[in-house]
Parts: sequence; structure tokens; C-alpha cells
Amino acid sequence: MNKMETKDINVCVLRIEGTNNEQEIYDSFKRLGANPRFVHLNEFRSLEDFQCLMIPGGFSSGDYIRAGAIFASRIRSTFWDGLLEFVKAGYPVGGICNGFQVLVELGLLPGFSRSQGKVNACLSRNDSARFECRHTLLKKMDSRKCAFTGLLPVGEQLVVPSAHAEGKLLVSDEKIYERMLKNGQIVFKYCDDKGGVDVGYPWNPNGSPHNIAGICNEKGNVFGMMPHPERSFYKENENGFSGKVIFESVINYIGERF
Amino acid sequence: MSDVVEIDLNVPEGRLQELSEETGTGLSVEELMVIRDYFSREGRNPRDIELQALGQAWSEHCCYKSSKYYLKKYLFNFEAPQNLFVIKEDAGLVEFDDDHAYAVALESHNHPSAIEPYGGAATGIGGILRDVVCMGAQPIALVDPIFFAPPTTPSDKIPKGVKHPKYIFSGVVDGIRDYGNRVGIPTIAGMTCFHEGYLGNCLVNVGCVGMVDKKDIIYSRVGGVGDIFILAGGGTGRDGIHGVTFASKELDDESQTASRSAVQVGDPIMKEPLIHACLEANEKKLLTGLKDLGGGGLSCVVGEMALAGGYGAVVDLENVHLKESDMLPWEIWVSESQERMMMSVREEELEEVLAIFKKWDVPAVIIGKVVEEKRLSINLHGKKIFDMDLEFLTEGPMYKRPMKRVRLNNREVEFESPQDLSGTLLRLLNDYNCACDDWVIRQYDFEVRARTHCPPLVGRENYETHADASVIKPLEDSNKGLAMTTDVNPHLMKLDPFWGAASAMDEVVRNLVAVGARPHSFADCLNFGNPEKPEKMWEFVQAVQGLAHVVGKIGATFVSGNVSLYNEGPAGACPPTPGILGIGMIEDVEKAVSTPFKGEGNLIYLIGSTKDEMGGSLYLRTIGVEGGIVPRVNPYELSNAASAILELMKKDIVISCHDLSEGGLACALAEMCIGNGIGAKVILEGAMRPDIQLFSESNTRWICEVDPKDRASFEDGLRGHQVSFKNIGATKGNELIIEKGSKGIIDLSVEAITEAWQRPLWEIMG
Repeated sequence: MNKMETKDINVCVLRIEGTNNEQEIYDSFKRLGANPRFVHLNEFRSLEDFQCLMIPGGFSSGDYIRAGAIFASRIRSTFWDGLLEFVKAGYPVGGICNGFQVLVELGLLPGFSRSQGKVNACLSRNDSARFECRHTLLKKMDSRKCAFTGLLPVGEQLVVPSAHAEGKLLVSDEKIYERMLKNGQIVFKYCDDKGGVDVGYPWNPNGSPHNIAGICNEKGNVFGMMPHPERSFYKENENGFSGKVIFESVINYIGERF
Repeated sequence: MSDVVEIDLNVPEGRLQELSEETGTGLSVEELMVIRDYFSREGRNPRDIELQALGQAWSEHCCYKSSKYYLKKYLFNFEAPQNLFVIKEDAGLVEFDDDHAYAVALESHNHPSAIEPYGGAATGIGGILRDVVCMGAQPIALVDPIFFAPPTTPSDKIPKGVKHPKYIFSGVVDGIRDYGNRVGIPTIAGMTCFHEGYLGNCLVNVGCVGMVDKKDIIYSRVGGVGDIFILAGGGTGRDGIHGVTFASKELDDESQTASRSAVQVGDPIMKEPLIHACLEANEKKLLTGLKDLGGGGLSCVVGEMALAGGYGAVVDLENVHLKESDMLPWEIWVSESQERMMMSVREEELEEVLAIFKKWDVPAVIIGKVVEEKRLSINLHGKKIFDMDLEFLTEGPMYKRPMKRVRLNNREVEFESPQDLSGTLLRLLNDYNCACDDWVIRQYDFEVRARTHCPPLVGRENYETHADASVIKPLEDSNKGLAMTTDVNPHLMKLDPFWGAASAMDEVVRNLVAVGARPHSFADCLNFGNPEKPEKMWEFVQAVQGLAHVVGKIGATFVSGNVSLYNEGPAGACPPTPGILGIGMIEDVEKAVSTPFKGEGNLIYLIGSTKDEMGGSLYLRTIGVEGGIVPRVNPYELSNAASAILELMKKDIVISCHDLSEGGLACALAEMCIGNGIGAKVILEGAMRPDIQLFSESNTRWICEVDPKDRASFEDGLRGHQVSFKNIGATKGNELIIEKGSKGIIDLSVEAITEAWQRPLWEIMG
């Protein structure tokens, strides 16, 4: 099978009222030559033409109930079966910040293959009880199958801005954390300026246990992170990596598989 | 018709005064007599809805009746080639490049924030966004200068009917955060300022900058006869009734309860799609005019849009969608409910426009149409309840109010220098007005939209220092940037409104230049006391003249602004506070310069001259000395120094730069040490007292860090412009050491400096 060309990769950037990071995600894919499209949930037909679904950050429907909860429930009532099939077929689904919260509320993250759609985690209020906008340092963990970080070596550090009030990843049972670890689902941890991942506030801006900043599902094709790689597309670290690598990786993943 | 009441104006003067109070219109007896004459020519008495509309249109807030004479005389007669369409609309339009313009708006939301800090501040953000959107522009940045009494004010000093400044401060930040973050526009600049004069009346100023493709610029005027008015957005409710008349009088101890309904309720999740829908309809060329509903609500927007196009309007009031069904006609007409926009549309494009709003889940209804005659009439279920000449309605009076010079305490003062200057520096850094604002800044999303090239906090992660200005790179395909900063120092203003205002202009220019931006436009938010008091009127006119002293000489003018008078409460008037927003142009954002020192062994230069001008300085306030000479401004020197520094920055000769403001040289050096943890050794010379050298707040000064290899080109560049400068030391180690005549006067570790500067707001606000 021929490798899919980047220009043919259609990315669905889903928006509803209150999503507000869609332009940055759109720009990130566009800059790399892919073909992103904004799709308002009210105009959503199907995922048939798309190879990637991105759920952007923001405050979908105001987040007045719980971050991501309303958007998740509207997705469930609009195209839940189609989404499950999309995930099952191995197409990548990414959520950043509020999008991560949506994927967790949908039960697609942590997302164990046998219990897809079962909600067993949440992104809870930051320990500081405040919205925190600060640049965070992230370390790539031993997660080799994540569709969004394939080009980023394990142990590599990124500087990625965080901006959220609810980013503390809590799981319903500590065993879930162990399973995620065993499956290589922990993709990013917050670290300090010396690269240590055993850190506290403010390096970890939300108090997330084990300093988790981003995770993928068991299969590796659903990915969510709190910090914003789409906001650090150009800002590179010493090794030349920036938030761009997330988008390059997923384009590469799609190219190799579809 | 029982909902509409006729009001008899043919009554004695005393009764007219009562009528003004009973109706809450805020019209003076003289104004009511002019209105009586108008209606006697019409052969009838006004109806309540007509009188209410006049109260809105003729309020200080809407028609600038006390200020417009002086603004025209002193401030608006400067021109700049980059100005496209300034002063006349809700936002000023300035050229960005051949194809794009940027829109600037700055406004106050002071009274609502004093009564209900969260809602007042949030709806302030909402309103300023609409001002930019109604030019067809996409908002790209928010700024928010905010002013409070010190959060440490003891409870027994709080007058009746006033909320504690700590509560107000916290609520205002929450409101800006929750609205700005939700709507997805970065809050990138502003200032947090404390002065006991804001006890009864805090100031919350909000500004917005937007970008528009020149071909998409739209104005707040209808296109032609037969155009249809579409009202889009949230429902109209009883929130925000009499907002502008409430803003046009002093607060008193009953305002807290009596005026609660004048504060609107914000809904950012209605606003966000409303912006998308308006911009989409405009880009598709489906609109002939677009205007936001702000102060005065429908009563201001319909008449102003129609008249600006040279026409009149007919409105069917029953079509307005309501939050509460039992509202009286006049309430509907003057309500300032948030998240509403008015469009004028040609009949053939009506369906397409309504379809766009439907897609975005935003209600949009037809409420009227444009007619030939310059009159406004309103029907309610087919019955005429309003019929007035539009020019009479919207023009409003203009006053030249009496003035009285205030005795100022701005003479030279004598004082002794403290022995321990290191300890004094720490005290200055610890002052709320100098200390780090990151408790505020980090609650705002300053990077959403991913266009923030230089954020308000700069340096290593989690050790950042303040930037002088933030820089936005607005376009995907261009490296051009816009720098933004806001400033005013009420301590200087209180001592001397003329030189205080001139100093605010100087600081705004300094901040822009410090990041490598050429001053390109300004907006002003003039917050003053009751103009009916001659002393307050004098302060206002002094300040306007102080701004004019500088603005004409630096290649940029005021393009937009707002006047907020009657900022007085039970604890007296606020200090005169002309908040200035400065916007600078950077040709290449890669060349932007930031505050923190970048490396050891680089030369440190002080640019400009230090004078014994200590009036209102942080230093004198800290050691408890009142009075003194407020720093002067020579606009020609400012313009000259700015050009010289900008040229050097273009050549990459300046590695870091910071302007000298509160706390003078010593605080500026300390702030430069903080961001990257790099110290400095500085040697002062000359006959001037060391404490004055360290802490004077003379204007037109900067510190620059320069690589030793560039010494000659840096110095030659400044000499070429006859700018005074001095190499005062070099970056070194992790301490700030300052000597005078071989005697150490400051010796502090960067850690101790950071600690003193970082903590204060976190400690008090938690």
C-alpha cells in the first residue's frame, strides 16, 4: 500500500461554542502541509473523510458543569458509534487541554481496549484552585506507541505553555495508574529545569499525581495532554524540538498506516 | 398603551428636578427645559420612553458633554500618516500593513466594578470586545489597567457602602479571567495599581486590539433606505438599566443596593459564537453596518447608526427577544444587557445572514428598518410610542464648566537618606506597586491564539520578571508585530496632573521602545472626579494638556478613548487617572528585546539623565515624605532617545533593555537581574546624592545590556543622536552590587531580591 501523502490527510478540528484553540491547531497542521478543516458540531456529518480528529482547547459550553462534560455528552449524542469505530480502526484522536478533558469525560482516555467508553478518570481542579498560565517543562516518558509522539525520543524535554484551571488527572483506582504505566500510556510528565520528574508546584502547575501531563490509550491512537503544543509550534529547545513534533508525529503516523 | 406614560414637563422648576430623580434619567433642570421646548414645538408632552432615551443619549457617558470641548481643543488636533479612521467610532483604525489595519479601543467599567466587581469587570471585557468586533475586526489581545486601594487597608477605614479593596481586587481579577479566558482572547498587558484614593471608587479600564483585512472594514452606520435592522445575541433583560446614567454621577453609600440593577450580567459563551457569526457575515459582505449595544442599549445604537448613515429608522419593539416577558417598553429600549450586536442588512441578504446566526446557535431577530427622514419612531403592536427628531435626540449638550486651580503640594522637599540602602531597596521591591504582578497575570490566559510572541512575564520558567510591553505577531504570514503597554502613575497625578499625565505618556513610550517597538498609536481612558466641581474640572483639563504636551511630538496620536467622570464615592474622589494604552510597531518580532539580563560580562548602560525630581516617587512614599517635584518631560528628548535606541535594536546591538520607572535605577536593575538570575556590578559617579541617583524617577531613561564587542557602535549610535548615556557597570555573578566612590551602597543576592519582589501579592491575596 502506498504511503498516504501529507496533503491528503484530512484533519477534523471539531468546534462548538466556547472552543477557542481551534485556529492554532488548524494552523499547526496547515503549516506542515496537511489539510485541516473546521467542523462545527451542528454541521457534523461523519468522520468518513477524515484521518484524524482533534478536539481543541477552550471552555466548551462554558465548562459550567465540569470541564469538558457538556461537549462530551453532545459528542455521545451526535456520533458516538462513529467515533468508536474511528478509534477502533486506529485513526488518531487528539485532545489538548479542554479537548483532553473531553476525551477523559468520554471514557476514551485512559481508554483500555476492553472497556472503551468507561469513564474512570477526571481532570480535577488545580491544587492552587486557580487558573494557571505558565510555561511548563515536559519530559517524554517511556511511551513508544503513542501516535502523537513517535518522532520524540524518550527522555526528551519540551517547553510547552500550560493554561488551565482543571488539569489534575485523577483516576478512580490506583491500579489504573499502574496499568497505564505498564502499558506505556503515560506520555508526558511535568519536570523541572534539571529534568527531574519528581517535582512539585509550580513545575507541576495543577498538582496532578505522578506529575502526569499527557496520556494515550492502550492502543496509542487516542492522546490527550493539558499543555498546549499548538502554542509552541516555533519555540524550539536545544535539540530542535518544539510543540511542532506532536503534529509532525501524528502526520507521520497516518502516512505510515493509511 | 398603559405601559407607556406621558410625562408633563410644563411644571415648575422644582418639580422638574424631582422628575429627573423619579425617572432616573439624570437630566439636569436646564436640560429638561430644552427638552420641554422641543416637545412644545411638537405640540405634546414626551412619553416616558422618549425621556428615558434622552437621558441615555445626553448622559456624560454617551455624549461627553463636559469633556468634548477640551478633547477637541487639545488632544484631537494631531495627525499621523498611519491613522486610517480615528476617534469617531467605537474603535480607532490604524494601518498595520498594505492589506491590514488594527482596531484599538479602551474603556472604563469603574462604577459597575465598584458595586459588583466580578460582573462589572467581566462585562467590561465583553463591551470592549464588541467595540472592536463592530469594526469588522477579530480581537487579538486584551489589556486591563486596574486601580484599587491597598489590599491591606484596615477594615475600620472602610466607609459605609464601600466594599473592601481586597474583595474588589479579587473579584475584578476573577471577572476579567473568567470572561477573557472563556472567550479565548489573550489578556497580554495591563497594570495593577494601588493608591488609597481608590477606596470608594476602584477603576477598571479595559482595552482591546483587533485585526481586520482592510477590505472587511465596516462602520457603525446603515447603508441606505430599506436596510433592515437585525438584533443578534443574548436576550434583553432588566440587567443594566440606567448603566450610563449611573456611570454619570457619584457613587454614594446607597449605590451598593440601589444601583445593583445597573450592572449587566456577562455570558462569554454567547459572546464567543456571536463574534464568529458577526465576522463571518461581514466577511461575506452581507452587512451594510455593524454596531455593538453598549451604554444606552438599543436607545443609542439604532438612532446613532441611522443618523451616521444620514437616515432615520422605524422600530417594532415587540420583536426584541426578552429575558423577562413583563418588561416595560422604556426598559427594553434602554436596557444594557450584554452580548448583543446590531446589524443593518439589505433585504436580499436577510435570509443568508439569519442562516449564519442559526448555524452558530445565536438568536437574531428583525427589529426595524431604515427610513429616509432623520427621525426615529417606535411602534409597539402597531401603536406609535416614540417619535423624535434624531439630530435633537443624539447631539446632546456641550458644556465649558467652571474650573478652579487646585493648590498642589509639588514643591521641593528636604529629607534625609536612610543609612541602609540595601534594606531600602528591598522595601521598595516589596511595595505592592513595584512588586511582581504574577498573581494577577498568571490567572489570565496570555497565550491563547498562539500569537503572543513576547508574553508579559519573561525569563527562565518560574523565575520570570515583568516585560515592559507584550508583543503580538498578529498574522500567520508576516513577522510584523504589535507591542502593547499601559501606564499612568496616580501618585504623580495627585501631586501634579499636568506633569503626571506627561510622565504617563513618557512611560508608555519608554515601555514600547524597551521592547524594540516604534510608538504607533495611543488610546486614553480618562478617569476623573465630578466635573461639576471646579477643582475636578481643572484637574481634567490640566491632565489633557499634559498628554498633549507629549503626544504631538512622537509620530503617533490618540486614535480612540473614553472619558469616565464622576469617579467619586463615600471616601472622596479618585486621583486623576488618565490611563494610557500605547501600541508600538515592530517590523520583525524576532528582533524584540526583553527585560532580563542575558549573560555575564556584558556592559550595562544608563541612557538619559537623572535629576533630583523625587515628587511622588516610590522612594519618598516608602520613607514617608510628602510633596516634591514631579518629573518633567521633554518630548523632543524623548523622541530623539527613542529613535536612537530603536536604531541600535534593529542592528541587534541591545541584548536586553528595561525602562526606569517606579523605584528608579535600583529597582530597574533588580528586575533585570531576576528573570535569568544574573547579577550586576554597578559604580555610580558624580556629586548627586546616592539615594537620589538610585531612586529618582526622572523620565526618559532606560538601561541597556550590550556585548563588549559592540561598545563602539552602541556609543557612537547614541552620540550621533546627542543622547546622554553612561556605562555604569557590567553583568556579573548572582548578586546586585552598587558602589559609589569606592563605597558599597547596595549589596544583595539576586535570590534575596527575587524573594522580596515575588512574594507580596501572593502573601496578601493567597
